[in-house]
Amino acid sequence: MTILARPPEETTAKKEQRRRGVTERQRPLWLLTPGGVLMVLVILIPLAVALWISLIDLDQYTLRRWVEAPFIGLDNFVESFSSGLLNSIWISVSFAVLSTIATVPIGIAAALVTQNKYRGRGLVRAVFLIPYVLPSFVVATVWRTMLQPDGVVNAWLSKVGIEGGLWLTGPRSYWALILVEIWAAWPFIYLMALAALQSVDNEVHEASAVDGAPWWPKLRRVILPYLRGPVLLACLLATLNHINNFTLPFVLFGAPAPEDVNVMPMIVYVTSFQSLRFGLSAAMAVLSLVLIAIPLFVYLRAVRLDVHEEGARR
Amino acid sequence: MSTSASTEATRLLPRWLLITMTALLVTMVLVPVLYIVLASLNSDVGVASGEYWPSSFSLDSYTRIWTTADLSTGIMNSLIVCAFTAVASALLGTTTAYVLVRYTFLGRLTILRGLVGLQSIPGTLMLLPVFVLFSSAGNYLGLTVIGTRWGLFVAYLTFALPFSTWVMVTYLRGLPRELEEAARTEGASTLVILWKIIFPLSLPAIVVSGIFAFLLGWNDVLFASVLTRPETHTAAVALQIFGSQQEGGALPVYSQMMAAALICAAPVVLLYLAFQRYLVGGLTAGSVK
Repeated sequence: MTILARPPEETTAKKEQRRRGVTERQRPLWLLTPGGVLMVLVILIPLAVALWISLIDLDQYTLRRWVEAPFIGLDNFVESFSSGLLNSIWISVSFAVLSTIATVPIGIAAALVTQNKYRGRGLVRAVFLIPYVLPSFVVATVWRTMLQPDGVVNAWLSKVGIEGGLWLTGPRSYWALILVEIWAAWPFIYLMALAALQSVDNEVHEASAVDGAPWWPKLRRVILPYLRGPVLLACLLATLNHINNFTLPFVLFGAPAPEDVNVMPMIVYVTSFQSLRFGLSAAMAVLSLVLIAIPLFVYLRAVRLDVHEEGARR
Repeated sequence: MSTSASTEATRLLPRWLLITMTALLVTMVLVPVLYIVLASLNSDVGVASGEYWPSSFSLDSYTRIWTTADLSTGIMNSLIVCAFTAVASALLGTTTAYVLVRYTFLGRLTILRGLVGLQSIPGTLMLLPVFVLFSSAGNYLGLTVIGTRWGLFVAYLTFALPFSTWVMVTYLRGLPRELEEAARTEGASTLVILWKIIFPLSLPAIVVSGIFAFLLGWNDVLFASVLTRPETHTAAVALQIFGSQQEGGALPVYSQMMAAALICAAPVVLLYLAFQRYLVGGLTAGSVK
């Protein structure tokens, strides 16, 4: 066992020297080749190509000989701002943030009610996971049927005297999208909150029980603070997932999507595979990656990725 | 306060609130879920007129759907492509993850960050270059890729491979290294260690990462809607196209559509039921649907 010289990027990031017993003189790095080569081929090269496409004028005529397509610099990026991208960014971000905000109380409530053991809890937990387990395209198909003008939702609304109207076109489609996303996505917050809740020490519970605190102050002052970190992290990830969700709007509304639900994945999809403006849509996709990079960067900083430290601690 | 002190202490909510909230949440989930089942047992006309509870029950939709939509081809294609994706990404992911967890080297942290970061990259950003490369492959390499199953398989690796690798990283980091070290002092080579120790010990995790890769493929609509022809449509695309054809038609066959939706959801739900204990951990570990 030797202590290896630490790679430069880690010397800046990590200060402790806890690398004993971890490295060996002969590291079988060649084992990385099959997976590594494949990842370079199917991920890194396409990503580089995507960047290149965003700088060239690529359409259905130049598609087959894309290497020879004319280079036009940043023109695609300039054009994407005049083709409704800003509107899509606004729709995507507001949709993602509203969905995340709405799922947090539902997820935490679900975690709280399944924390204590009771008969039938296993069944309740299984039920809570159903929306998350069902494929998105199935969820969207079902809600699409329920939200039809003559569908079951409007039938119920008219029973209580409310005029139903159109859910899948026009301004209400935005709220329909949020509603379905909330229904499908809250179990993620629930799972993260439940994991955090179960890591709360028994002593914490007992101490506050000795104090005789009533349930609400106990919950608010003692228990919920434990959930803050994990739930915030979950929110970050959930927001990213909402922004990237293509399946739900695509299956719910079809392409091209109504103006009010023209989220970023949809506008990129329609620009490339219906308008066949590949260069323009690549520029849009790159811009949406820039937008996502901000919360993603925060997330990657917040999560401990240096598994080595944890592995060595055993 | 007669129950044991410890359960009483961890009780967070008063009984009435617990019951109300559970009931509300369960209703919220079950109303649409039961709707799928009920509508699939209803008649097409009944569903189209907005019935929740069918006026007559029948299994007709389940027999008729196979001729109405090309569902069997779709399911077959999905099974083939996703099975290959699952096996390839689980095996390659395990090998890669083993090196990432056990050894330090330059760029290791970058790879780990990349594995997590890749899961949040917009699918459209990956699909676009894949599509351009595939469609020009005929011109530059003389290959037809678009519309083939193996083309879709390669495309699915773009998200299944990093995901499976990450699932294996989170598992292998918890695996004690004593066994490997013992084997190494006995003179076992890395390949032998990998084959005789790591693979058998982490078999449940390998299965889980394979299942996740399978589900990622099964649930995908984006890639399959662009990279397949009618003969190679996956189940998801078959259902999506079937659904979008209903509006504007003379009589929408919603009951059959719900039957199709249930059939497409069945493998996923069965996999979860069978592996529930293992999969729930992975849901939060990978944090990707």
